[in-house]
Amino acid sequence: MPAILEVENLVKKYGDFAAVNGVSFRVDEGEVFGLLGPNGAGKTQTISMLTGVVTPTSGTARIGGHDIRKEMDKVKKINGLVPQDLALYPALSARANLEFFGRIYGLRGKELRERVEDALRIVALAERANQTVEKYSGGMKRRANIAAGLLHQPQLLFLDEPTVGVDPQSRNHIFESVLRLNRERGMSIVYTSHYMEEVEYLCNRVAIIDGGSIIALDTIKSLIDLLGGGVIHAGLARLDEALLTQIAALPGVKAATLIAPPTAPPLAPGVEPEAKPAQPVRTNELVQVVAQHSQQALVSLINFLNERDIALTALEILEPNLESVFLHLTGKKLRE
Amino acid sequence: MKAWSIAWKDITIFLKDRGAIVYLFLLPLLFIVVMSGALSAVGQSTPQPTRIALPVVDLDGGEAARSLVQALDAAGGVRVEAYEQDVAVALLREGKLGRVLTIPSGFTANLAADRPSTLRLVNHPDADPEKNEAVRVVVEGVARDMALQSQILASLRQMGEMLADAPPEYQEAFSTERAVAQARSQFEASAKRPLVEVRQCVPAITSQPQEATTPGLNLTAVPGLAVLFVFLTAQATAYSIHEEKKIGSFRRLLAAPLSKASLLLGKMLPNLVTALLQMAAILAFGAFGLRLLGLTPVSLGRDPLALSLVVLLIALCSSALGLTIAALARTEGQVGGISQVLLWVMAILGGSIIPLFALEMYLGPLPRIVPHYWANRALDNLMLRGLTLAGVGTEMIVLLGFTILFFAIGLWRFEFD
Repeated sequence: MPAILEVENLVKKYGDFAAVNGVSFRVDEGEVFGLLGPNGAGKTQTISMLTGVVTPTSGTARIGGHDIRKEMDKVKKINGLVPQDLALYPALSARANLEFFGRIYGLRGKELRERVEDALRIVALAERANQTVEKYSGGMKRRANIAAGLLHQPQLLFLDEPTVGVDPQSRNHIFESVLRLNRERGMSIVYTSHYMEEVEYLCNRVAIIDGGSIIALDTIKSLIDLLGGGVIHAGLARLDEALLTQIAALPGVKAATLIAPPTAPPLAPGVEPEAKPAQPVRTNELVQVVAQHSQQALVSLINFLNERDIALTALEILEPNLESVFLHLTGKKLRE
Repeated sequence: MKAWSIAWKDITIFLKDRGAIVYLFLLPLLFIVVMSGALSAVGQSTPQPTRIALPVVDLDGGEAARSLVQALDAAGGVRVEAYEQDVAVALLREGKLGRVLTIPSGFTANLAADRPSTLRLVNHPDADPEKNEAVRVVVEGVARDMALQSQILASLRQMGEMLADAPPEYQEAFSTERAVAQARSQFEASAKRPLVEVRQCVPAITSQPQEATTPGLNLTAVPGLAVLFVFLTAQATAYSIHEEKKIGSFRRLLAAPLSKASLLLGKMLPNLVTALLQMAAILAFGAFGLRLLGLTPVSLGRDPLALSLVVLLIALCSSALGLTIAALARTEGQVGGISQVLLWVMAILGGSIIPLFALEMYLGPLPRIVPHYWANRALDNLMLRGLTLAGVGTEMIVLLGFTILFFAIGLWRFEFD
């Protein structure tokens, strides 16, 4: 499939801080592509550069064959943006909001009215289109927010955390709308979220982003396969390099790594350390075992520890999913 | 076109906010009523000279001219001061005289021969319009009486001469009834074609006046408050831009095929429209509404084009200032803070609350650093002093300069990201 979006080493810096640090990926035509990462990972900044809201510090991207640095005017006609904020005017009705944004995209008269009705139908708001947005529920506002990004029938739609703060029913409405846009209208979609379930459900491929950089990019199946049969976190009373190597060689185990203990941030000058630490102090070592087969790996590990009289102080078995992939890759949870 | 779409959207939202409508339109009118009433009372409590100085240049020197001067002085409203023509012209040009009445040569002879004469009353552009009007009424009244008296006397004299030479059988023709009829006819003729006409004019003099330059305190309230409130609308532009940023619609607009210039223009246009409507409402109320409330109305001047241009410039300047505030303020709280401090300080310094002549006595040229000063001066010159477009050129150029400056600062400091 030809690419609708090709991102090359995109960087956005604010002073010394790199909000986005050399991001590269491509999205094929007709693909639903996920950008998964915790809050502050750089997802919104990446989308902002691709939609012309902010200017990249360096790097570039091509959308529909047009360079975003040179031909943003053409790019803006291809792009549709559904921002994370509810970017609607609360005092106006949904219809008035959509008509306004339609006019901004150059639509007029009958064409504008038809596009507005079409967008309202897609998000199932046609019956309450004349109600002011301020009287909508959170979910309805989200749906109206999506509708405003569809009016000019974009080829590439950026949905930035479109389900934040909505009820399950509205979330399902939004999922249905996204899938319908993709399947029935062939719209390419870049979907950002920090909910791995959404990305797993909607996307063909996903880029996991953290600290402004992409740390993994593949199909969801391939990413989950990184974990094989799952991940076991085991707290051990004692551990050394030799033991770690032996654990890695156990039957059913794919890899074993030591998880570094969380480090407390340095105290500011003149600040006394608190008597009670903010996080519990770990008194033993934590091993992350990536299993080929989780049951076999668990039995092997427990037998191994019993034989050497090493106490098991903690045990956690993680299902193989994007959440555990993220934990495996970064050592932290998506919603930390 | 897209800028107008943004503007129309903002106007639609504004019209749904009844509180804002009250604030923008009713509050200024209420202020004007209170200020006009209060300043009127202050004006009345100040001891005023009972007679207005009336410099007179007598180019005739005849008996009728002397009678006119005596009659003017005796009328009670004015105090006649005799001047040589060249001296009077020079002092008028310098603004040291508020007005000069010139009696033309041949005035006495024309009157005697029943030929019309014209008295010229020249007012300085900055002279107090109320005093000008009072002088005009006195001069016209005295001149009319004098012309009528002269015409009636001449008629009676003519009838007497004819009676002396007439045979007895024709003397009935000069009965009392005929004399009364003749006097009535003279009254009517005098009303239709006055023997002495007063022509009032204002030459284009741009020097600063030193005499009779202080407009009535109550009259300055209308233009002053109009300027104050129109500039206060600047904060609406700034709030509107911050609201767009806060709800995220600004990002959506930035992502649309819309130039940044169109976006900013669209955000400024509603303020321009509001400011123009607000100014129109305030000036209309000042000219017509105050009269209904028994207060002294303000004149809209004699050059509607100049007034329209000045109003447009003031509204533009206010809109550009709004952009500057939006660019300088980083948060909504800062918009409120900067607006309140900046706009009220400018208004007080620029003569919107305390009249300019009073401010300048204490602050010297300092008020000139704010656009309000030039806006107030332009409106005062047009509405209170009766000047035309040529008389407010400097004020308009300075206001345009402020507009460009504010717009440049706004564009330079505006953060689109």
